Parts: sequence; C-alpha cells; structure tokens
Amino acid sequence: MSAFESEGRRPGGVHRRVVLKAAAAAFVAGATNAWAGFAHALAGHGHSPIVNTRGTAMNSRPLMTVRIAAAPPQKLGAVPHGIRSIVLVSGGDFEGPRLRGKVLPGGGDWLLLRSDGVLELDLRITLETDDHALIYMTFQGVRHGPPAAIAALSRGENVDPASYYFRTLPRFETSAEAYAYLNRMVTVGVGEARLAGAVHRIYEVL
Amino acid sequence: MTSRLLMTLQVVVPPPQRLGGVPHGTRVIAPITGGTFDGPRLRGKVLAGGGDWTLSRSDSVLELDLRITLETDDGALISMSSFGLRHGPPEVLAALARGESVDPSAYYFRTAARFEASAQRYGYLNRLIAIAYGDRRASGPIYTVEEIL
Repeated sequence: MSAFESEGRRPGGVHRRVVLKAAAAAFVAGATNAWAGFAHALAGHGHSPIVNTRGTAMNSRPLMTVRIAAAPPQKLGAVPHGIRSIVLVSGGDFEGPRLRGKVLPGGGDWLLLRSDGVLELDLRITLETDDHALIYMTFQGVRHGPPAAIAALSRGENVDPASYYFRTLPRFETSAEAYAYLNRMVTVGVGEARLAGAVHRIYEVL
Repeated sequence: MTSRLLMTLQVVVPPPQRLGGVPHGTRVIAPITGGTFDGPRLRGKVLAGGGDWTLSRSDSVLELDLRITLETDDGALISMSSFGLRHGPPEVLAALARGESVDPSAYYFRTAARFEASAQRYGYLNRLIAIAYGDRRASGPIYTVEEIL
C-alpha cells in the first residue's frame, strides 16, 4: 500500500545543532513524564468539531480520543535531518462514539526536531478494540509554539494546548468489517502534551 | 479547532499513464503539466513535472499521492505533497470516469497536504497541517486547501 510517504525531509541545519541539542533535551524532558491517571475518565468528549471560518466546505466530527503511554525516549541526538528521539509506546487507551479499546504496547513515535524548531512526529501503533479488532494507526504531524510554551512543556508543566500548535494526520488500516470505515477516511488530530502523556483528539474530515 | 482557507489549487492533468494491476492495487499515474493556485496569502502557478500517483485499492478506494512544485508570483518555489482518498457510490464514480461533471458533495475526495519552502515569507507553510477538499473535473482536479488552525 502506498503509505503516507509524502513527508518532506529538509537538510539539517548543522550550524544550529548545538542549539537544537539543548532544545531537544528540553523537549525530551517534557515527553518523559510517566503515564499516570490512565484510569481516570477520558477527556475530550463533547469537544467541538472543526469550524470553518469561511463558513463553507470544512466539516468534521469527533472520531476518538487516543491517550498514549510512552516509555522514556531513546535520545539518538543529531542526525542528518535534525535531532532524533524515539519514544516507544507502552500502552494507552482510546474512546470515541463508534470505537473504544486499548493501545497495544510495541509501537512508537519517531520524533525529529527540525532546524526550524518544529518537532515532527511519526507514529505507528496498534489499537485493539473492546471487541478484539486490531487497527493499525499511523500519523505524521508537527508540534511547535512560542518558546515560553515549549519551555514550559519541557519542564513538565501542563500547558494550555491552545498556546501551541500540535496537529497530526492519522491514518488507519483494519481488516475488521465493523471498522472498515477507518480505511476510507481522512482525519486530523489535535494533540495535547500532558503530564500523563500525549492525548490526541482525532476528527474525521467529513 | 478551526480552519481557514489557504488556497484554491487547480492542476492540469493530461491523459494518465495506466499501469494496471500491481501488487497493491491498480496503479494510474497522472502527470501534472501545470496549474494555478490562489489564496489570501499566496498565489502563483504550478510547475510542470509533478504528478499524482494514484492507486485503486481492493476496497475500491482510490489513494492519491501527489507531489508538485508551486511557484509563487514573487518567485518562491514551494514543494507540496499530499495524500488522500477518493471514494463514492459506483454510479457517481462511473460518471466521473466518463468525464462528466459531478457535484463534489456526491463523493468523498479529501487529502492531507504538507509543504516545504525555504523562502522566509512562506516559512509558515513548513509549520502547518492542511486538508484539501477535491472536486474532480474533466480537465483536472480543483482543491480547496484549508489550513488547520
């Protein structure tokens, strides 16, 4: 299958690597917060759909909220395209109007901090629904924001997600007929970096 | 969460290259020989040489995998790539295949787009996620590209 391979990779800004290393360390600190509160009630129900400010074409509806529990990252450091960190996924859960279940351990997010300060996300995980269907989920995305907000995230503080940009493009594959609609939709994720782990509110683009 | 218009993009597609059945489906490559784009913050033309590597899957969904280069009216080059899906009722897809104009709300044609630009004034394109609504016309598709805010 033609995977979402349209991601561009730009040449690394070698001269900025020292700065980037510091930024990467700060970022990673923010990402390492242990998963906690896994059992507490899922947030994100009732969040509003994408609003098109033109009042025209764009419509969406909530698909699900995915909460990811991550292991401490593997810090690979400076690579040709930026600063690489790999965050392995140890578990999590997801819930939406039409599907719910748990995130299986074993996936991960291959993070790249680019020379322009944007963090690229490249995630692959497997979801298992409560009726035992397996769903392969991938996304590519970006996270960036004002230095103060990113610094607060790296200190492990909870930051208002409206103060930074954390958006992803999830894709799904499943063989289960009950969830085949996932194979046919374009979705957008709104991410939130929380103390307890990353939370992604995913919207189906209608 | 909100979105706003980034641009309207129209690409010119000559007759496609029909590669036929390949391991992942039926491959059709649509070279792109030109086009235009226009939005509140950028406008210009599509350079010849890109294309859309489409794949018709076993579940009848058409996957689109587009790569083109945009040239703004002030001379900046922007690389655009998108991945999308197109599907709909068989009779609607048949009408599209016959080259007829079809109400785009009759089928699902959505793509997710990413950009690369080195020009500082277009640096915002490197940092955004965009969704496009496609309208497949006989001359080539028209995309309404929305920035996800």
